[in-house]
This record gives sequence, C-alpha cells and structure tokens, in this order.
Amino acid sequence: MSSFSVKNVNQIFGSGTAEVHVLHDVNFEAEPGTLSLIMGPSGSGKSTFLTIAGGLLTPTSGTVEVNGVAYNERSKKKRDALRLDSIGFVLQAYHLLPYLTVADQFKLVDKVKPNGNLSKEELDDVLDTLGIKNLLNKYPGELSGGQQQRVAIARALYPNPAIILADEPTAALDSSRVAVVGDLLKDLAIKHNKAVVVVTHDARLIDSADHLYEMKDGYLTKKEVVKA
Amino acid sequence: MFLALKEIKKEKIRSGLIVSMIVLIGYLIFILTSLALGLARQNTDAINSWGVDRITLNSSANVDMRQSFLTEKEAGKITKNEALIGETSVVANAKGHKQTSAVFIGLKSNQFVYKNIKLESGRNVKKAHELVVDTSFKLEGYKLGSKFKLNDDKTKYTIVGFTEDAKMNVAPVVYGQLQTWRDLRGITVGPITSAVVSKNAKYKNTEKGAKTYNKQTVIEKLPGYQAQTTTFIIMIAFLMVISLIIIAVLLYILTMQKLPNYAVLRAQGIPSKVLVMATVSQSVLLVVSGLIIATLLTTATAFIIPASIPMAFDIPVLSAVGGGLLAMAMIGGLIPIKSVLSVDPVSVIGG
Repeated sequence: MSSFSVKNVNQIFGSGTAEVHVLHDVNFEAEPGTLSLIMGPSGSGKSTFLTIAGGLLTPTSGTVEVNGVAYNERSKKKRDALRLDSIGFVLQAYHLLPYLTVADQFKLVDKVKPNGNLSKEELDDVLDTLGIKNLLNKYPGELSGGQQQRVAIARALYPNPAIILADEPTAALDSSRVAVVGDLLKDLAIKHNKAVVVVTHDARLIDSADHLYEMKDGYLTKKEVVKA
Repeated sequence: MFLALKEIKKEKIRSGLIVSMIVLIGYLIFILTSLALGLARQNTDAINSWGVDRITLNSSANVDMRQSFLTEKEAGKITKNEALIGETSVVANAKGHKQTSAVFIGLKSNQFVYKNIKLESGRNVKKAHELVVDTSFKLEGYKLGSKFKLNDDKTKYTIVGFTEDAKMNVAPVVYGQLQTWRDLRGITVGPITSAVVSKNAKYKNTEKGAKTYNKQTVIEKLPGYQAQTTTFIIMIAFLMVISLIIIAVLLYILTMQKLPNYAVLRAQGIPSKVLVMATVSQSVLLVVSGLIIATLLTTATAFIIPASIPMAFDIPVLSAVGGGLLAMAMIGGLIPIKSVLSVDPVSVIGG
C-alpha cells in the first residue's frame, strides 16, 4: 500500500496575464522502503512540488494523501501535527538552532512530541550510521557543513516519520560525501522502511535511487533508472 | 521555556548585555521612585501621622494651612473627633548649631492629634516652653534637653522628646502648645487656630468664613508638592516607555535573527505556539533576572544611603513599579510575536 501519494495536482500562481501554471496534473506515489529521486532544472517546479508534498502549500487542485488521509481535509494545526509525526524534512537550508547542542535538537522534538519518537537505542544506531555519535554535546557552530547536514538528517528521522522529503541534501557536500549521503538515504529507506523522496539537481544520486522522475516545465515524468 | 533557557545559556554575553540594560533601567526607576516617595513623604509625613480625614481652614486661605486663621466662632463645635492645629514657619536658633528652618505645630494636650504623636524618645509636651521635635534635629546635634530659640523670640525652648517621620513641606516639624503658636504669631485676640482637623470622614464645618477639605486636597495644595510629584511621575512613566522600546527593539533584533531557524522548525511541524512561548519566556526571564538584580542593588543602596537624602523604600510601591516594568517587557516581547507567527516555512524550501 502506498504511504504517500500525490494525485492530479495542479498549482497556479497569480491570475490573468500574470498567471503561471507551475505544476500540471502531477501524479506521484512513494512506497515504504524505496528511494525516489525527482530531478529537473531550476524553475521546473521541483520546490513547489516538495512544498505541496510536505503540506506547506495547498495545491490549486488535486490532493496529497499521507497514509490514506488527504492534507486538504486537515486543519492547519493538524497538518503541523502530521508533518511532525509523519514527514521528516531534510532541507538544503538546514538551519539548526545555533543555541541547541546536537542532543538538545532531539530534546526539542521530545518537548513537542513526547511519544512515538525513536528510542535511545534506535537514535544511537542512526547517529552511529551517520557518524555523528560523538558530536552530541557540540553546538552547530562547532560543526562542519557536512556534519550539520547529517545532524539535520538525524533530526528529521528522530520523530520516526513514515516519509522523508529531502530538498537538495547534497548541495553543501563535496563529491566524496555525495555517495555517502546517497547510500545513507537508501539505507534509511530499506533499513527503516521509509518512503524517501529526494528533490535534487545532483545526477550522482541516481546510483542510490529505486525510482527516478523528471520534472520539466511543471510536468512530472517517470524515467527508467540507469545506474552508472 | 526550554528554548529560552537554552538560548540564554548559550548566548551568555548577549543575554548579559540585555539583562544589564534592564538592571540599569530598573535600578534608575526604583531609585527615582524611592526619591519621589521620600520627597512626597517629607511633605506629608506629619499630616499623615495625625490620623485625620478632614481639615477646616479659613475660606480665604487658598487651602494653605500657614495662611489660615480661624476664630473661635469659625472653628465651630469641637468634639472628641476634632482637634485644633496652629501652624507657622519658624527658624530654630541655638549657639553652636546651624540655623534650622522648621514648621511649628501648636496642639492642645487634651485633643487626639496630641495623643497620636508617636515618640521615638523622651516625653510629650507638658509646659509652654517645651517642644517635641523631628528626629532630623539629631543630625544637627540636638539632644533631649537641648535648648533653642524660635525666630527672633527671646524665649528658650527645651527639647523634651523626639518623634520620627515628622516632616511637613520638606521641613522638620516642631510640636508645641497651641498657645505657643499664638505667641509666635503675635496673636492676642481673634484667631485661636490655623485649622480644625477631624478624624470623622463626614465632618463638615458650615460656619461662615470656614471651609472643610479632604486631607488629600490640602496635601495637593502644599507649595511645590504637585509640581514635584507630577515631575517624578512623568519621569518614571517616560522611563517605563523607554524600557518598553529598548526591550522591544532588542527582542525584535534577536527574533529576526532566528526567523530562518524558526521557518525550518515550522516546516518540520513545530507548532507556532512553541516558538511564541520561547520568545515570551525569553523576555520574561531576561526582565525578571534584570529586575532581581536591580532590586538587590536598590536594597544595597537603601542600606548605604545617608539619612539626609530623602528616599523612601516602600516595598508595595516598588513591587508595583517592578510589576509595571514586567508588564512593559511582556508588551515589548509581544511585538516580535507577529513576525514569529507570520514566518513562512515555504521560504526554506528550494535554493
């Protein structure tokens, strides 16, 4: 059963002569345990797709369903709760709170959502996989860009969401780290049975993908995954 | 609270600077309030110590006890709830002492005001040339048994008692007999008193030439009292507004710097109320810390301030002022809330 689906989504900004049709009848599904890659040039509608997929923007038409429930049927407060429970965002601008240590970034989630988060053992496992277990008492300012990105990934995973939406997760990383993050996202999908959706320009991530989509001028097309 | 405490702990210098600003503002407001209270009390301590509600003066005296003279007929009926008071300005002269300007209050020993005078030491006046004086005379070197003259009168008066907080119009009070007041004013016939005071809240003198006022009306007509009080109130009010602006600006800058972080948290589903509470808690914590330090500084000042400086540290009034500052901080802390509530999580999606 699909845990996440986007059905017939259209997004139009502006009206009259200023009208811009950003997404055209977009359909998309993500299964647990798979990594889907959405690629496309700048301005193709990838970010708008991610914004709608994450429930931050209501589409002009169409629906986004998480575990069979459409976003449109939920209040703003319930959409917040759904994002916290079911969607882990890994953002290009990861902006970890500078005054929280790595450990406190997780405590903040505990304060807002006391139940259903990863257990201590599960978190240790994630931190170990990401290679940041020894950074728990560090502040973001004391970490490199790559370390901060990995903390942001762990932070996104901590509420144990069913879906991971990643926006250009390799943008701040050098080539050697891209493969590591690709493998990590793939590992997350398989090991933790998550539906991982990655929006990126970075073709080097194709090797890790199960499904590949291309976004062009607001149209989303499924492509065959051709690994290098 | 979690976010606020963590931020304050991490950003010690930044938080310390904000707290020190609040300490300075709070300390300044506390000291100004204490000065205002001290000066106000130096105008009114004596009147307040008498335990009176209503005061009858000559209707032509412009509500000024020193300018009022009442004849026996104008004074009207005197019951056990009323007392006669003769007031005049005097200068105390004694060899080896500086001249001291004072207010002479003449009383009758069988009336309630005389009985209400609380002695710090010595005894009450029993004879014509005896006086009970404010304890500030001690600072001038006077003791029980010391003698001095009043104005250019040749009579020597003896201090038989000291009383605390006996000030009127920022001058120490000298209590004596009502007859002594007549002597000092050179009155042989006619007026018997400056005022009739009553502890009966419904008392009213209807005699022609006399008019009865509330105690507060008489206090507010004391020369300079209202101008001085209003000046202090305006200064304190302006400082409150300045504190509001400073706190609002500082918190606004701090909050603006955090908006990108807040946008990410919002995208991740952290409710707005958590971020709003963090901002409000931060302002409360910083202001309460600042006010506690300002209170400690004010307490230390109260211990070391010379007795000659008219400052009064009234805990209920200072608590109210502290509460006012906290309220200002809350309002200041609410100004950046609009930005927190309107933070757009969409802004962090995409490059």
